[in-house]
Amino acid sequence: MSEPTAVVKKPKTFDRLRVLPQEIWSSIFRHPLPDSDLGRSQTSFTNFFLHIHPVKVDRHTLKPWFTMGLGLMSFFLFVILIVTGILLMFYYVPSTQQAYDRMLDLRGSVAFGTFLRNMHRWGAHLMVAVVFLHMCRVFLTGSYKKPREFNWVLGVVLFLLTLFSSFTGYLLPWDQLAFWAITVGASIAGYAPVVGKEMQFLLLGDTAVGQEALLRFYVLHIAVLPAVMMLLVMVHFWRIRKDGGLSRPEPEAAVAVAQEVPKPKKFGLQGLVRGQVLNAGSSTENSVYSWPNLFIAELFVFVFTLAVILILAMFFDAPLEEPVNMTHPPNPAKAPWYFLGLQELVSYSAFWGGVGIPGLMVVGLLIAPYIDRGRKGVGKWFARERLLANTLFVSFAILNVILVIIGTFFRGPNWEFVSPW
Amino acid sequence: MGNHGTQKPAEQEEAGGRRRVLTFLSAFGLIGSAVLSAFSNFVFIKPRATYGQPSRFHVGKPDDFPSGTKLALEDRRICLVRDGDQFAAVSTTCTHLGCIVSPSDTGYSCPCHGSRYDQDGNVTGGPAPKPLAWYKVSLAPNGELEVDKDQEIKPGTYFNV
Repeated sequence: MSEPTAVVKKPKTFDRLRVLPQEIWSSIFRHPLPDSDLGRSQTSFTNFFLHIHPVKVDRHTLKPWFTMGLGLMSFFLFVILIVTGILLMFYYVPSTQQAYDRMLDLRGSVAFGTFLRNMHRWGAHLMVAVVFLHMCRVFLTGSYKKPREFNWVLGVVLFLLTLFSSFTGYLLPWDQLAFWAITVGASIAGYAPVVGKEMQFLLLGDTAVGQEALLRFYVLHIAVLPAVMMLLVMVHFWRIRKDGGLSRPEPEAAVAVAQEVPKPKKFGLQGLVRGQVLNAGSSTENSVYSWPNLFIAELFVFVFTLAVILILAMFFDAPLEEPVNMTHPPNPAKAPWYFLGLQELVSYSAFWGGVGIPGLMVVGLLIAPYIDRGRKGVGKWFARERLLANTLFVSFAILNVILVIIGTFFRGPNWEFVSPW
Repeated sequence: MGNHGTQKPAEQEEAGGRRRVLTFLSAFGLIGSAVLSAFSNFVFIKPRATYGQPSRFHVGKPDDFPSGTKLALEDRRICLVRDGDQFAAVSTTCTHLGCIVSPSDTGYSCPCHGSRYDQDGNVTGGPAPKPLAWYKVSLAPNGELEVDKDQEIKPGTYFNV
């Protein structure tokens, strides 16, 4: 290794052993904990798990009230759901004969069985809510605008996949709630024009909810949907970086300053591929090193999310109703809460409530960034320049929340209006 | 690519045309295979035979049901009606979202979203979009009534024993 100098002392075996742990450690972690700016930059470059992060991050991105960590929270919930889901798979059997008994076993004889199921159930509910709130945040801060429009589209697709994952998981306990919620949900799919009946048959694998449907929903729930979601989450994250990081307000003179920047010399492949990069508004004085600023923030969000789930799972047990009775629907038969707005609409008109209006809403969300092309008010909550778009979106969100509340609390037997008080 | 300069213009054009045709054909082949494999996956997941209940079944001898019977056969999801010598099998699957309707004094009512039907299965209230289905009833060779859920008939059409 070293230069052959006068006297090279042969290292003793003991010395070699003494440095062995250090050698192993440094083979895994290429750098010690950073204590210089160079070290702080190296964290994002040399660590696989950190390399998704930028070396420096804009101060605005780190303001807690700008993002409220909702996107990260969705991701951490997704991770918690995968871990608890895989653990639950060790005991679950997707058979109409066994599924419900396995639920009882989970409760009665499996160590931490109830706790894991609680974590999975509350995590799923929370994820639906948090993904929705994340979507609200992105819209109300105008962060879906160019160049982030396709990432918004991916986000909407991920929201729908979240709902579908939750829906497919709902059938698995094979209790009354599960069976009738899926019967109702699959019938809604059947109202889609032209392909509706075919789609329902494909989804259920039969004309009614039964063993085939249970198996299909299981495969979708544990393999197909998580795989697709993982792929899309990766693209979603990657595009955040490639679209220039999180949105932030452009400073007053940003455009003028950007034009004055001389054309940078293009060194190497990256310069050629990416062309001229003008990071207007994210000047050096506005940004801080990701280590430790961003990583601490992310760790906080993770610990917070996990704590909420653990506390919920500790104090509230996931419901399990009577085993399936195919001949006696509960009265009222209710879908999971996030579909109760849909069910409320469906009680007026099956086609418009179940397919027409939700379809229009989804299409509206998907094309929003291509219609709303104003460049003003990006990176600010409730920007005055975006009053119309924000008002429309808030009305849409409140309408949905109201429908869910009516469906949850104000509907009794025969779906008649009841007062919760 | 590299020897373009040495070719005559006509030859070059010919080579470019050939290349375009080959590109087009390969693209056509690749996209075609992708479409075909997507289609065969679709065919695969659509079951040819289902494992559920048979759609044609016997319910019993006509004499088992006295006149005026309105008996919901819950497992079969039908309601067997006898009026004099006339028989009918009315579906108890709500046409709205697939819940099970239960016979009531005035006809049928659905617990899920409050659809109501009259004795013939016509919608009298609630969100149901169409009347309850009536299925074909016939007499099997062994003297039992046979219901065929694959054959929907016009509501109000009874089977005379």
